[in-house]
Amino acid sequence: MGFYLSILTFTFITIIGVTGIFLITGLTGLFSLGQASFMAIGAYTAGILMIKFQVPFVVATILAILVGLLFGLVVGLPTLRLRRDYIALVTFGFGEAVIAILNNLTSITGGAMGLSGIPMKTNFTLALISAIVCIIFARNYKYSKYGRQCMALKSDELAAKAMGIDVKRVKLTTFLVASGLTAYAGVLYGSFTTYVDPSTFGWTRSAEWIIILFFGGLNSLTGAIFSSLALGSLPELLRFASSWRLVIYAVIVLLILNFRPTGIFGEYELNLKTLKKDLLRTNRK
Amino acid sequence: MIVQQLLYGLSLGSVYALIAVGFALVFNILKFSNFSHGGVLTVTAYTGYLIATKLQTNLWVTLFLTACVGGVLALIIEFFAFRRLRKKQSPLIFYFVSSITMGLLLDNLITVYFSTNFYSYPNFFTNRVIQLGPYNIATTDTIMLIISIVALSALMLLIYKTKFGVAIRALSIDAQTLSLMGVNVNQIIIITFFISGFLGGISGVFLGINYTLYPMIGKLVVKGFIASVLGGLGNISGAVIGALLLGIMEVTLTSIGFIGSGLAPVVIFVIMLVFLIVRPQGIAGIIIHEKA
Repeated sequence: MGFYLSILTFTFITIIGVTGIFLITGLTGLFSLGQASFMAIGAYTAGILMIKFQVPFVVATILAILVGLLFGLVVGLPTLRLRRDYIALVTFGFGEAVIAILNNLTSITGGAMGLSGIPMKTNFTLALISAIVCIIFARNYKYSKYGRQCMALKSDELAAKAMGIDVKRVKLTTFLVASGLTAYAGVLYGSFTTYVDPSTFGWTRSAEWIIILFFGGLNSLTGAIFSSLALGSLPELLRFASSWRLVIYAVIVLLILNFRPTGIFGEYELNLKTLKKDLLRTNRK
Repeated sequence: MIVQQLLYGLSLGSVYALIAVGFALVFNILKFSNFSHGGVLTVTAYTGYLIATKLQTNLWVTLFLTACVGGVLALIIEFFAFRRLRKKQSPLIFYFVSSITMGLLLDNLITVYFSTNFYSYPNFFTNRVIQLGPYNIATTDTIMLIISIVALSALMLLIYKTKFGVAIRALSIDAQTLSLMGVNVNQIIIITFFISGFLGGISGVFLGINYTLYPMIGKLVVKGFIASVLGGLGNISGAVIGALLLGIMEVTLTSIGFIGSGLAPVVIFVIMLVFLIVRPQGIAGIIIHEKA
Protein backbone atom coordinates (compact mmCIF):
# COMPACT_ATOMS: atom_id res chain seq x y z
CA MET A 1 0.00 0.00 0.00
CA GLY A 2 2.82 2.36 0.95
CA PHE A 3 4.36 1.85 -2.48
CA TYR A 4 1.20 2.91 -4.31
CA LEU A 5 0.71 5.86 -1.99
CA SER A 6 4.22 7.07 -2.70
CA ILE A 7 3.64 6.73 -6.46
CA LEU A 8 0.47 8.76 -6.10
CA THR A 9 2.29 11.38 -4.05
CA PHE A 10 4.92 11.75 -6.78
CA THR A 11 2.15 11.96 -9.35
CA PHE A 12 0.44 14.77 -7.44
CA ILE A 13 3.72 16.66 -7.29
CA THR A 14 4.07 16.17 -11.05
CA ILE A 15 0.52 17.51 -11.47
CA ILE A 16 1.51 20.73 -9.69
CA GLY A 17 4.54 21.09 -11.98
CA VAL A 18 2.49 20.40 -15.09
CA THR A 19 -0.10 22.93 -13.93
CA GLY A 20 2.66 25.54 -13.99
CA ILE A 21 3.64 24.46 -17.50
CA PHE A 22 -0.03 24.58 -18.50
CA LEU A 23 -0.16 28.25 -17.53
CA ILE A 24 3.04 29.09 -19.41
CA THR A 25 2.73 26.91 -22.49
CA GLY A 26 -0.93 25.99 -22.70
CA LEU A 27 -2.39 29.39 -21.97
CA THR A 28 0.32 31.78 -23.05
CA GLY A 29 2.21 29.84 -25.71
CA LEU A 30 5.63 30.38 -24.15
CA PHE A 31 8.14 27.62 -23.55
CA SER A 32 10.17 27.24 -20.42
CA LEU A 33 12.87 24.60 -20.73
CA GLY A 34 14.25 25.46 -17.32
CA GLN A 35 11.08 24.91 -15.36
CA ALA A 36 12.63 22.01 -13.47
CA SER A 37 15.26 24.39 -12.11
CA PHE A 38 12.51 26.29 -10.31
CA MET A 39 11.63 22.98 -8.73
CA ALA A 40 15.29 22.64 -7.75
CA ILE A 41 15.27 26.14 -6.28
CA GLY A 42 12.19 25.31 -4.21
CA ALA A 43 13.52 21.98 -2.99
CA TYR A 44 16.99 23.26 -2.15
CA THR A 45 15.89 26.52 -0.51
CA ALA A 46 13.38 24.82 1.74
CA GLY A 47 15.78 21.95 2.44
CA ILE A 48 18.72 24.17 3.36
CA LEU A 49 16.53 26.40 5.53
CA MET A 50 15.13 23.44 7.40
CA ILE A 51 18.44 21.60 7.84
CA LYS A 52 20.86 24.43 8.54
CA PHE A 53 18.61 26.99 10.21
CA GLN A 54 15.89 24.80 11.76
CA VAL A 55 13.22 26.96 10.12
CA PRO A 56 9.70 25.50 10.49
CA PHE A 57 8.25 23.83 7.39
CA VAL A 58 5.59 26.46 6.68
CA VAL A 59 8.01 29.38 6.88
CA ALA A 60 10.57 27.51 4.77
CA THR A 61 7.89 26.82 2.16
CA ILE A 62 6.89 30.47 1.94
CA LEU A 63 10.51 31.59 1.70
CA ALA A 64 11.23 28.98 -0.98
CA ILE A 65 8.29 30.21 -3.05
CA LEU A 66 9.52 33.79 -2.65
CA VAL A 67 13.01 32.80 -3.82
CA GLY A 68 11.39 31.04 -6.79
CA LEU A 69 9.48 34.21 -7.62
CA LEU A 70 12.64 36.28 -7.33
CA PHE A 71 14.47 34.06 -9.83
CA GLY A 72 11.42 34.13 -12.06
CA LEU A 73 11.63 37.90 -12.05
CA VAL A 74 15.36 37.89 -12.84
CA VAL A 75 14.87 35.55 -15.80
CA GLY A 76 11.53 36.88 -16.97
CA LEU A 77 12.05 40.61 -16.83
CA PRO A 78 14.73 40.91 -19.54
CA THR A 79 13.41 38.14 -21.79
CA LEU A 80 9.63 38.36 -21.83
CA ARG A 81 9.56 41.68 -23.64
CA LEU A 82 11.38 40.07 -26.58
CA ARG A 83 10.37 37.51 -29.19
CA ARG A 84 8.99 34.29 -27.78
CA ASP A 85 12.04 32.26 -28.70
CA TYR A 86 14.17 34.13 -26.21
CA ILE A 87 12.31 32.80 -23.20
CA ALA A 88 12.88 29.21 -24.32
CA LEU A 89 16.58 29.74 -25.05
CA VAL A 90 17.24 31.76 -21.92
CA THR A 91 15.39 29.39 -19.59
CA PHE A 92 17.40 26.52 -21.09
CA GLY A 93 20.56 28.44 -20.15
CA PHE A 94 19.06 29.22 -16.75
CA GLY A 95 18.55 25.52 -16.07
CA GLU A 96 22.20 24.81 -16.86
CA ALA A 97 23.34 27.74 -14.71
CA VAL A 98 21.27 26.57 -11.73
CA ILE A 99 22.70 23.07 -12.00
CA ALA A 100 26.22 24.53 -12.19
CA ILE A 101 25.57 26.51 -8.99
CA LEU A 102 24.16 23.47 -7.19
CA ASN A 103 27.13 21.36 -8.27
CA ASN A 104 29.76 23.88 -7.25
CA LEU A 105 28.61 25.47 -4.01
CA THR A 106 29.48 22.23 -2.27
CA SER A 107 29.56 23.67 1.24
CA ILE A 108 25.93 24.80 1.04
CA THR A 109 24.21 22.45 -1.40
CA GLY A 110 26.28 19.32 -1.01
CA GLY A 111 27.43 19.53 -4.63
CA ALA A 112 26.95 16.53 -6.91
CA MET A 113 26.48 14.31 -3.85
CA GLY A 114 23.18 16.02 -3.23
CA LEU A 115 21.49 17.38 -0.17
CA SER A 116 20.34 14.74 2.25
CA GLY A 117 18.56 14.76 5.58
CA ILE A 118 15.71 17.06 4.61
CA PRO A 119 12.96 16.53 7.22
CA MET A 120 10.11 14.47 5.80
CA LYS A 121 7.10 16.75 5.95
CA THR A 122 5.15 15.84 2.82
CA ASN A 123 2.66 13.02 3.03
CA PHE A 124 -0.05 11.72 0.76
CA THR A 125 -2.75 13.98 2.16
CA LEU A 126 -0.70 17.16 1.88
CA ALA A 127 0.26 16.35 -1.73
CA LEU A 128 -3.35 15.54 -2.62
CA ILE A 129 -4.72 18.73 -1.08
CA SER A 130 -1.96 20.82 -2.67
CA ALA A 131 -2.62 19.33 -6.09
CA ILE A 132 -6.36 20.00 -5.79
CA VAL A 133 -5.80 23.57 -4.64
CA CYS A 134 -3.35 24.17 -7.50
CA ILE A 135 -5.78 22.72 -10.03
CA ILE A 136 -8.63 24.91 -8.77
CA PHE A 137 -6.29 27.88 -8.84
CA ALA A 138 -5.21 27.16 -12.42
CA ARG A 139 -8.82 26.68 -13.49
CA ASN A 140 -9.80 30.02 -11.99
CA TYR A 141 -6.74 31.62 -13.56
CA LYS A 142 -7.76 30.29 -16.96
CA TYR A 143 -11.23 31.83 -16.74
CA SER A 144 -10.07 35.05 -15.12
CA LYS A 145 -9.22 38.25 -16.95
CA TYR A 146 -5.55 37.23 -17.02
CA GLY A 147 -6.23 33.81 -18.45
CA ARG A 148 -8.30 35.23 -21.28
CA GLN A 149 -5.63 37.81 -22.02
CA CYS A 150 -3.06 35.00 -22.10
CA MET A 151 -5.12 33.06 -24.61
CA ALA A 152 -5.57 36.16 -26.72
CA LEU A 153 -1.85 36.85 -26.90
CA LYS A 154 -1.10 33.21 -27.58
CA SER A 155 -3.07 33.17 -30.79
CA ASP A 156 -2.08 36.65 -31.97
CA GLU A 157 0.22 38.87 -30.02
CA LEU A 158 -0.12 41.84 -32.34
CA ALA A 159 -3.91 41.77 -32.23
CA ALA A 160 -3.85 41.38 -28.45
CA LYS A 161 -1.63 44.44 -28.21
CA ALA A 162 -3.99 46.36 -30.46
CA MET A 163 -6.89 45.45 -28.16
CA GLY A 164 -5.05 47.19 -25.34
CA ILE A 165 -3.68 44.15 -23.54
CA ASP A 166 -0.43 44.86 -21.75
CA VAL A 167 1.31 41.87 -23.30
CA LYS A 168 4.58 42.12 -21.36
CA ARG A 169 2.82 42.39 -18.06
CA VAL A 170 0.46 39.49 -18.66
CA LYS A 171 3.36 37.29 -19.77
CA LEU A 172 5.40 38.23 -16.73
CA THR A 173 2.49 37.65 -14.32
CA THR A 174 1.85 34.20 -15.76
CA PHE A 175 5.53 33.29 -15.74
CA LEU A 176 5.84 34.37 -12.11
CA VAL A 177 2.74 32.45 -11.04
CA ALA A 178 4.14 29.35 -12.71
CA SER A 179 7.56 29.85 -11.09
CA GLY A 180 5.91 30.05 -7.68
CA LEU A 181 3.82 26.95 -8.29
CA THR A 182 6.82 24.98 -9.50
CA ALA A 183 8.94 26.10 -6.55
CA TYR A 184 6.17 24.82 -4.29
CA ALA A 185 6.19 21.50 -6.14
CA GLY A 186 9.93 21.43 -5.45
CA VAL A 187 9.39 21.97 -1.73
CA LEU A 188 6.95 19.06 -1.63
CA TYR A 189 9.33 16.89 -3.65
CA GLY A 190 12.35 17.65 -1.46
CA SER A 191 10.57 17.05 1.82
CA PHE A 192 9.06 13.83 0.50
CA THR A 193 12.22 12.18 -0.82
CA THR A 194 14.33 13.76 1.98
CA TYR A 195 17.19 13.79 -0.53
CA VAL A 196 17.76 15.88 -3.66
CA ASP A 197 20.65 16.01 -6.12
CA PRO A 198 21.23 18.34 -9.07
CA SER A 199 20.88 15.69 -11.78
CA THR A 200 17.17 15.26 -10.96
CA PHE A 201 16.39 18.71 -12.28
CA GLY A 202 17.95 18.72 -15.75
CA TRP A 203 16.26 19.92 -18.92
CA THR A 204 14.89 16.42 -19.49
CA ARG A 205 12.40 16.92 -16.69
CA SER A 206 11.27 20.28 -18.07
CA ALA A 207 10.89 18.74 -21.51
CA GLU A 208 9.01 15.80 -20.00
CA TRP A 209 6.45 18.17 -18.46
CA ILE A 210 5.89 19.85 -21.80
CA ILE A 211 5.42 16.43 -23.35
CA ILE A 212 2.90 15.46 -20.66
CA LEU A 213 0.97 18.65 -21.33
CA PHE A 214 0.91 18.02 -25.06
CA PHE A 215 -0.19 14.45 -24.60
CA GLY A 216 -3.37 15.61 -22.89
CA GLY A 217 -4.00 18.55 -25.13
CA LEU A 218 -2.46 21.97 -25.15
CA ASN A 219 -5.63 23.88 -24.38
CA SER A 220 -7.17 21.61 -21.83
CA LEU A 221 -6.42 21.64 -18.11
CA THR A 222 -8.43 18.45 -17.77
CA GLY A 223 -6.16 16.86 -20.36
CA ALA A 224 -3.05 18.03 -18.52
CA ILE A 225 -4.26 16.46 -15.28
CA PHE A 226 -5.30 13.19 -16.88
CA SER A 227 -2.06 12.80 -18.75
CA SER A 228 0.01 13.61 -15.64
CA LEU A 229 -1.94 10.93 -13.81
CA ALA A 230 -1.43 8.45 -16.62
CA LEU A 231 2.15 9.24 -17.67
CA GLY A 232 3.20 10.05 -14.11
CA SER A 233 2.12 6.79 -12.50
CA LEU A 234 2.54 4.29 -15.36
CA PRO A 235 6.36 4.32 -15.45
CA GLU A 236 6.59 3.62 -11.73
CA LEU A 237 4.35 0.60 -12.17
CA LEU A 238 6.23 -0.60 -15.27
CA ARG A 239 9.68 -0.32 -13.74
CA PHE A 240 11.21 -2.84 -16.12
CA ALA A 241 10.81 -0.48 -19.05
CA SER A 242 12.15 2.55 -17.21
CA SER A 243 14.99 3.36 -19.59
CA TRP A 244 12.61 3.23 -22.53
CA ARG A 245 10.02 5.41 -20.82
CA LEU A 246 11.09 8.77 -22.30
CA VAL A 247 11.70 7.19 -25.70
CA ILE A 248 8.15 5.85 -25.73
CA TYR A 249 6.72 9.19 -24.57
CA ALA A 250 8.62 11.03 -27.28
CA VAL A 251 7.39 8.69 -30.00
CA ILE A 252 3.79 9.01 -28.79
CA VAL A 253 4.00 12.80 -28.76
CA LEU A 254 5.51 12.88 -32.24
CA LEU A 255 2.59 10.77 -33.46
CA ILE A 256 0.11 13.05 -31.68
CA LEU A 257 1.71 16.15 -33.15
CA ASN A 258 1.52 14.74 -36.63
CA PHE A 259 -1.92 13.19 -36.55
CA ARG A 260 -3.90 14.81 -33.77
CA PRO A 261 -2.16 18.08 -32.96
CA THR A 262 -4.75 19.14 -30.41
CA GLY A 263 -3.80 16.30 -28.07
CA ILE A 264 -6.15 13.73 -26.65
CA PHE A 265 -8.56 16.12 -24.99
CA GLY A 266 -8.38 19.02 -27.42
CA GLU A 267 -10.28 21.97 -26.02
CA TYR A 268 -12.41 19.78 -23.76
CA GLU A 269 -12.73 20.74 -20.11
CA LEU A 270 -14.47 18.55 -17.59
CA ASN A 271 -16.99 20.47 -15.49
CA LEU A 272 -20.62 20.17 -14.50
CA LYS A 273 -21.91 21.59 -17.76
CA THR A 274 -19.91 19.35 -20.10
CA LEU A 275 -20.50 16.38 -17.84
CA LYS A 276 -24.27 16.87 -18.13
CA LYS A 277 -23.99 17.20 -21.88
CA ASP A 278 -21.93 14.01 -22.14
CA LEU A 279 -24.35 12.06 -19.96
CA LEU A 280 -27.37 13.20 -21.98
CA ARG A 281 -25.64 12.28 -25.21
CA THR A 282 -24.91 8.75 -24.01
CA ASN A 283 -28.49 8.38 -22.80
CA ARG A 284 -29.90 9.32 -26.17
CA LYS A 285 -27.87 6.60 -27.81
CA MET B 1 50.51 32.55 -21.97
CA ILE B 2 47.98 35.14 -23.03
CA VAL B 3 48.42 34.21 -26.68
CA GLN B 4 47.84 30.54 -25.86
CA GLN B 5 44.72 31.35 -23.85
CA LEU B 6 43.42 33.54 -26.63
CA LEU B 7 43.98 30.82 -29.19
CA TYR B 8 42.32 28.25 -26.99
CA GLY B 9 39.37 30.60 -26.54
CA LEU B 10 39.13 31.17 -30.26
CA SER B 11 39.21 27.46 -31.01
CA LEU B 12 36.52 26.78 -28.41
CA GLY B 13 34.54 29.70 -29.79
CA SER B 14 34.82 28.39 -33.34
CA VAL B 15 33.30 25.07 -32.25
CA TYR B 16 30.46 26.99 -30.60
CA ALA B 17 30.15 28.97 -33.82
CA LEU B 18 29.55 25.75 -35.76
CA ILE B 19 26.76 24.84 -33.32
CA ALA B 20 25.27 28.32 -33.37
CA VAL B 21 25.30 28.51 -37.16
CA GLY B 22 23.65 25.13 -37.55
CA PHE B 23 20.95 26.33 -35.20
CA ALA B 24 20.64 29.78 -36.80
CA LEU B 25 20.26 28.36 -40.33
CA VAL B 26 17.06 26.53 -39.45
CA PHE B 27 15.84 29.41 -37.32
CA ASN B 28 16.39 31.69 -40.25
CA ILE B 29 14.15 29.85 -42.68
CA LEU B 30 11.46 28.33 -40.46
CA LYS B 31 11.49 30.91 -37.61
CA PHE B 32 11.50 28.49 -34.72
CA SER B 33 14.22 27.43 -32.29
CA ASN B 34 15.35 23.99 -33.28
CA PHE B 35 15.99 22.16 -30.02
CA SER B 36 16.60 18.88 -31.81
CA HIS B 37 20.01 20.28 -32.77
CA GLY B 38 21.22 19.13 -29.35
CA GLY B 39 20.13 15.61 -30.26
CA VAL B 40 22.14 15.83 -33.49
CA LEU B 41 25.20 16.81 -31.44
CA THR B 42 24.76 13.86 -29.08
CA VAL B 43 24.25 11.29 -31.81
CA THR B 44 27.12 12.54 -33.96
CA ALA B 45 29.50 12.72 -31.00
CA TYR B 46 28.86 9.01 -30.42
CA THR B 47 28.91 8.18 -34.12
CA GLY B 48 32.31 9.83 -34.44
CA TYR B 49 33.56 7.78 -31.50
CA LEU B 50 32.27 4.55 -33.04
CA ILE B 51 33.77 5.33 -36.44
CA ALA B 52 37.12 6.31 -34.96
CA THR B 53 37.43 3.26 -32.71
CA LYS B 54 35.80 0.56 -34.83
CA LEU B 55 37.10 1.60 -38.26
CA GLN B 56 40.40 3.03 -36.96
CA THR B 57 40.07 6.04 -39.23
CA ASN B 58 42.11 9.21 -38.92
CA LEU B 59 40.60 12.54 -37.92
CA TRP B 60 39.74 13.70 -41.45
CA VAL B 61 37.84 10.59 -42.47
CA THR B 62 36.09 10.48 -39.10
CA LEU B 63 35.04 14.09 -39.44
CA PHE B 64 33.76 13.68 -42.97
CA LEU B 65 31.82 10.48 -42.30
CA THR B 66 30.32 11.86 -39.08
CA ALA B 67 29.33 15.11 -40.74
CA CYS B 68 27.52 13.12 -43.44
CA VAL B 69 25.76 11.07 -40.76
CA GLY B 70 24.76 14.33 -39.08
CA GLY B 71 23.37 15.66 -42.33
CA VAL B 72 21.33 12.52 -42.97
CA LEU B 73 20.11 12.57 -39.36
CA ALA B 74 18.90 16.14 -39.81
CA LEU B 75 17.02 15.01 -42.93
CA ILE B 76 15.39 12.21 -40.96
CA ILE B 77 14.43 14.68 -38.21
CA GLU B 78 12.99 17.04 -40.80
CA PHE B 79 10.97 14.21 -42.32
CA PHE B 80 9.51 12.85 -39.08
CA ALA B 81 9.19 15.98 -37.00
CA PHE B 82 8.50 18.86 -39.37
CA ARG B 83 7.41 17.67 -42.82
CA ARG B 84 3.76 17.10 -41.97
CA LEU B 85 3.59 20.21 -39.82
CA ARG B 86 4.85 22.24 -42.75
CA LYS B 87 2.30 20.73 -45.11
CA LYS B 88 -0.52 21.54 -42.71
CA GLN B 89 0.92 24.98 -42.01
CA SER B 90 0.70 24.36 -38.29
CA PRO B 91 1.36 27.16 -35.82
CA LEU B 92 4.97 27.68 -34.71
CA ILE B 93 4.26 26.28 -31.26
CA PHE B 94 3.95 22.77 -32.79
CA TYR B 95 7.33 23.00 -34.48
CA PHE B 96 8.72 23.93 -31.15
CA VAL B 97 7.26 20.98 -29.27
CA SER B 98 8.22 18.69 -32.12
CA SER B 99 11.85 19.78 -31.96
CA ILE B 100 11.98 19.44 -28.16
CA THR B 101 10.48 15.97 -28.39
CA MET B 102 12.91 14.95 -31.11
CA GLY B 103 15.85 16.20 -29.03
CA LEU B 104 14.63 14.26 -26.01
CA LEU B 105 14.10 11.15 -28.15
CA LEU B 106 17.63 11.20 -29.59
CA ASP B 107 19.25 11.86 -26.21
CA ASN B 108 17.36 9.01 -24.63
CA LEU B 109 18.02 6.57 -27.45
CA ILE B 110 21.72 7.20 -26.90
CA THR B 111 21.23 6.70 -23.15
CA VAL B 112 19.46 3.39 -23.80
CA TYR B 113 22.17 2.06 -26.10
CA PHE B 114 25.28 3.35 -24.39
CA SER B 115 23.93 3.66 -20.84
CA THR B 116 25.41 6.51 -18.85
CA ASN B 117 29.02 5.32 -19.13
CA PHE B 118 31.77 7.72 -20.08
CA TYR B 119 33.84 7.19 -23.21
CA SER B 120 36.70 9.15 -24.64
CA TYR B 121 37.99 9.56 -28.17
CA PRO B 122 41.27 7.96 -29.21
CA ASN B 123 44.25 10.23 -29.74
CA PHE B 124 44.41 11.37 -33.34
CA PHE B 125 47.83 12.97 -33.18
CA THR B 126 51.15 11.75 -31.94
CA ASN B 127 52.42 15.27 -31.34
CA ARG B 128 50.15 16.84 -28.77
CA VAL B 129 51.68 20.31 -29.10
CA ILE B 130 52.92 22.38 -31.98
CA GLN B 131 55.94 24.60 -31.44
CA LEU B 132 55.17 27.97 -32.97
CA GLY B 133 58.02 30.36 -32.24
CA PRO B 134 58.03 30.87 -28.48
CA TYR B 135 54.53 29.38 -28.02
CA ASN B 136 53.37 25.83 -27.40
CA ILE B 137 49.97 25.28 -28.90
CA ALA B 138 47.81 22.17 -28.51
CA THR B 139 47.49 20.39 -31.85
CA THR B 140 43.79 19.60 -31.52
CA ASP B 141 42.95 23.23 -30.73
CA THR B 142 44.74 24.44 -33.82
CA ILE B 143 43.15 21.80 -36.04
CA MET B 144 39.70 22.59 -34.63
CA LEU B 145 40.15 26.28 -35.26
CA ILE B 146 41.32 25.73 -38.84
CA ILE B 147 38.57 23.27 -39.74
CA SER B 148 35.91 25.47 -38.23
CA ILE B 149 37.18 28.52 -40.09
CA VAL B 150 37.20 26.59 -43.37
CA ALA B 151 33.69 25.24 -42.80
CA LEU B 152 32.30 28.61 -41.79
CA SER B 153 33.94 30.42 -44.71
CA ALA B 154 32.55 27.84 -47.11
CA LEU B 155 29.11 28.41 -45.63
CA MET B 156 29.42 32.19 -45.89
CA LEU B 157 30.45 31.87 -49.53
CA LEU B 158 27.48 29.60 -50.12
CA ILE B 159 25.04 32.00 -48.50
CA TYR B 160 26.32 35.30 -49.82
CA LYS B 161 27.75 34.40 -53.23
CA THR B 162 25.64 31.67 -54.78
CA LYS B 163 22.16 31.45 -56.22
CA PHE B 164 21.25 28.91 -53.58
CA GLY B 165 22.31 31.39 -50.90
CA VAL B 166 20.02 34.01 -52.37
CA ALA B 167 17.19 31.49 -52.19
CA ILE B 168 17.90 30.80 -48.50
CA ARG B 169 17.95 34.48 -47.70
CA ALA B 170 14.76 35.05 -49.64
CA LEU B 171 13.12 32.13 -47.86
CA SER B 172 13.94 33.73 -44.52
CA ILE B 173 11.83 36.71 -45.59
CA ASP B 174 8.83 35.14 -47.26
CA ALA B 175 8.28 31.54 -48.29
CA GLN B 176 5.16 32.14 -50.35
CA THR B 177 6.63 34.85 -52.55
CA LEU B 178 9.69 32.72 -53.09
CA SER B 179 7.61 29.81 -54.34
CA LEU B 180 5.81 32.19 -56.70
CA MET B 181 9.23 33.07 -58.11
CA GLY B 182 9.55 29.47 -59.21
CA VAL B 183 11.88 28.26 -56.49
CA ASN B 184 11.32 24.83 -55.01
CA VAL B 185 10.93 25.84 -51.36
CA ASN B 186 10.77 22.28 -50.14
CA GLN B 187 14.12 21.49 -51.71
CA ILE B 188 15.75 24.56 -50.17
CA ILE B 189 14.46 23.61 -46.72
CA ILE B 190 15.74 20.05 -47.08
CA ILE B 191 19.19 21.18 -48.21
CA THR B 192 19.35 23.70 -45.36
CA PHE B 193 18.54 20.97 -42.86
CA PHE B 194 21.30 18.84 -44.37
CA ILE B 195 23.84 21.66 -44.05
CA SER B 196 22.73 22.32 -40.49
CA GLY B 197 23.16 18.65 -39.62
CA PHE B 198 26.50 18.50 -41.46
CA LEU B 199 27.87 21.36 -39.36
CA GLY B 200 26.28 19.77 -36.29
CA GLY B 201 28.19 16.56 -37.09
CA ILE B 202 31.53 18.38 -37.20
CA SER B 203 30.80 20.15 -33.93
CA GLY B 204 29.64 16.85 -32.41
CA VAL B 205 33.04 15.26 -33.06
CA PHE B 206 34.86 18.31 -31.69
CA LEU B 207 32.75 18.32 -28.55
CA GLY B 208 33.47 14.63 -28.13
CA ILE B 209 37.22 15.26 -28.44
CA ASN B 210 37.11 18.25 -26.11
CA TYR B 211 35.00 16.67 -23.38
CA THR B 212 34.37 13.07 -22.42
CA LEU B 213 31.39 11.39 -24.07
CA TYR B 214 28.25 11.02 -22.02
CA PRO B 215 24.62 11.00 -23.17
CA MET B 216 23.95 14.52 -21.97
CA ILE B 217 26.72 15.99 -24.11
CA GLY B 218 24.02 17.39 -26.39
CA LYS B 219 23.09 19.95 -23.77
CA LEU B 220 26.24 21.79 -24.82
CA VAL B 221 23.98 23.07 -27.56
CA VAL B 222 23.17 25.71 -24.97
CA LYS B 223 26.48 27.36 -25.92
CA GLY B 224 25.13 27.70 -29.42
CA PHE B 225 21.91 29.22 -28.06
CA ILE B 226 23.79 31.73 -25.95
CA ALA B 227 25.98 32.63 -28.93
CA SER B 228 22.88 33.16 -31.09
CA VAL B 229 21.25 35.33 -28.44
CA LEU B 230 24.42 37.39 -28.11
CA GLY B 231 24.74 37.68 -31.86
CA GLY B 232 21.09 38.36 -32.61
CA LEU B 233 18.65 35.51 -33.23
CA GLY B 234 18.76 34.09 -36.72
CA ASN B 235 21.66 36.23 -37.83
CA ILE B 236 24.46 34.00 -39.09
CA SER B 237 27.44 36.33 -39.00
CA GLY B 238 26.21 37.67 -35.65
CA ALA B 239 26.12 34.11 -34.33
CA VAL B 240 29.75 33.57 -35.36
CA ILE B 241 30.92 36.74 -33.63
CA GLY B 242 28.84 35.89 -30.55
CA ALA B 243 30.30 32.39 -30.41
CA LEU B 244 33.91 33.59 -30.68
CA LEU B 245 33.28 36.13 -27.91
CA LEU B 246 31.67 33.40 -25.82
CA GLY B 247 34.67 31.09 -26.26
CA ILE B 248 37.14 33.80 -25.24
CA MET B 249 34.97 34.85 -22.27
CA GLU B 250 34.70 31.27 -21.11
CA VAL B 251 38.44 30.66 -21.21
CA THR B 252 39.13 33.94 -19.44
CA LEU B 253 36.54 33.26 -16.74
CA THR B 254 37.84 29.75 -16.17
CA SER B 255 41.34 31.09 -15.57
CA ILE B 256 40.04 33.41 -12.84
CA GLY B 257 40.57 31.49 -9.63
CA PHE B 258 37.35 31.83 -7.69
CA ILE B 259 35.08 31.33 -10.70
CA GLY B 260 36.79 28.33 -12.27
CA SER B 261 35.26 26.04 -14.86
CA GLY B 262 32.38 25.16 -12.53
CA LEU B 263 30.85 28.58 -12.11
CA ALA B 264 31.79 29.98 -15.53
CA PRO B 265 28.36 29.00 -17.00
CA VAL B 266 26.66 31.01 -14.25
CA VAL B 267 28.69 34.14 -14.94
CA ILE B 268 28.08 33.76 -18.67
CA PHE B 269 24.37 33.40 -18.04
CA VAL B 270 24.37 36.62 -16.03
CA ILE B 271 26.36 38.38 -18.76
CA MET B 272 23.75 37.18 -21.28
CA LEU B 273 20.90 38.58 -19.15
CA VAL B 274 22.65 41.95 -18.83
CA PHE B 275 23.31 41.92 -22.55
CA LEU B 276 19.62 41.27 -23.23
CA ILE B 277 18.67 44.28 -21.13
CA VAL B 278 21.24 46.58 -22.74
CA ARG B 279 21.14 45.41 -26.33
CA PRO B 280 18.30 42.97 -26.99
CA GLN B 281 18.82 43.09 -30.75
CA GLY B 282 22.19 41.39 -30.36
CA ILE B 283 25.56 42.25 -31.83
CA ALA B 284 24.29 42.17 -35.38
CA GLY B 285 21.56 44.60 -34.40
CA ILE B 286 18.71 43.30 -36.51
CA ILE B 287 15.46 42.34 -34.85
CA ILE B 288 13.43 39.70 -36.58
CA HIS B 289 9.84 40.74 -36.31
CA GLU B 290 7.15 38.36 -35.27
CA LYS B 291 5.12 37.50 -38.34
CA ALA B 292 1.64 38.78 -37.76
